[in-house]
Amino acid sequence: MEYRNKQRIPYWNWVPAAFALSGIILFIFATYGPPASSSGFVSLLKGFFEWAAPDYIAAKAHYQFIPGPGSWIFAFVLGMAGGGFIAGRTSRDIPVRDMPPIWVKRFGAGRAKRYAATFFGGFLILFGSRLAGGCTLGLFISGSTQLAISGIYFGVVIFAVAMLTARLIFGKVAEKEDIQ
Amino acid sequence: MTNIWLGLFSGIAFGFVIQRIGATDAHRMARSHLMLDADIPRFMVLAVALSAVGLFGLQSVGVGRLLPLPTSIVATGLAAVIFGIGWGLTGYCPGTTWAAAGEGRMDAVFALLGGLAGAALFAHLHETLIPILYDPTNAGRITLTDLFGNQAVAVAVLATGFGLCTWGIGKLWRHDNDEKNT
Repeated sequence: MEYRNKQRIPYWNWVPAAFALSGIILFIFATYGPPASSSGFVSLLKGFFEWAAPDYIAAKAHYQFIPGPGSWIFAFVLGMAGGGFIAGRTSRDIPVRDMPPIWVKRFGAGRAKRYAATFFGGFLILFGSRLAGGCTLGLFISGSTQLAISGIYFGVVIFAVAMLTARLIFGKVAEKEDIQ
Repeated sequence: MTNIWLGLFSGIAFGFVIQRIGATDAHRMARSHLMLDADIPRFMVLAVALSAVGLFGLQSVGVGRLLPLPTSIVATGLAAVIFGIGWGLTGYCPGTTWAAAGEGRMDAVFALLGGLAGAALFAHLHETLIPILYDPTNAGRITLTDLFGNQAVAVAVLATGFGLCTWGIGKLWRHDNDEKNT
């Protein structure tokens, strides 16, 4: 542990990072409007169904509010993947792992279990986001920035529930061993 | 076309920053939720406080397009509970799945696929669920400005509140990283 504590932390300091992120958020407000990322999923689906089932898409209300993939909304999430790719390739220190150590300690190293869980979790976060109309970015961050009650309300509840869920699932493991 | 380039550019910048703070790492996210690592939550909360002040500035010179979402007491709350369970379980939220998938994390690719399924199911049930869950308790596009009657006051309240949260997170969460930072 002593050795580990002396390791150089690979992540950016949170204060300048927050300034950088809010600069990007303001740039988005100025050049487009409120940033959002869960809409990108709907945008991609719309593109798919417009090709596969045009009659279905025309009859569904949820797809009427959101543009297809040839839009800012989809370009943004695609850009996020690109940004993640560039950032991952240019950092030697930040570990890229698809099995979080805390997960392995709790559920073992089986990939099928982890992938099934993230599929299910992904399902929940998008189902929830579409019901609320936005996600961490589209509702909490951009909503609160616009002083919207919905954003603050959503933010408080998602943090509280996620913290409780994490505690129920990983709490014991994290207590037993000091997982870095 | 300009919009697509703007979206792509904004996305790349956003994805880059959230990777560098570690928000694309589900392990670090779980540690944040367990109150073992304060950096990501206070990074998020501080970013909102700064953005709110900045957006107020932009608006005063007539720049920026705003569209606050409505608050539905039942739907927004229930959605947040469902979301919170998924976030606590996987450590991913919709935005970070894209960046993490781009980074090459396979579990994020599955979260992304699950997300597409979840979005598709909700879109399919939209006509049934919105009138039951969303509309009855929809309070409209209410903001802190409606509550305080003055936008400057509302911005000050939000920035102070989120600023205090940033400080509080630093106090309440464990400080494993502090010695590493020095």
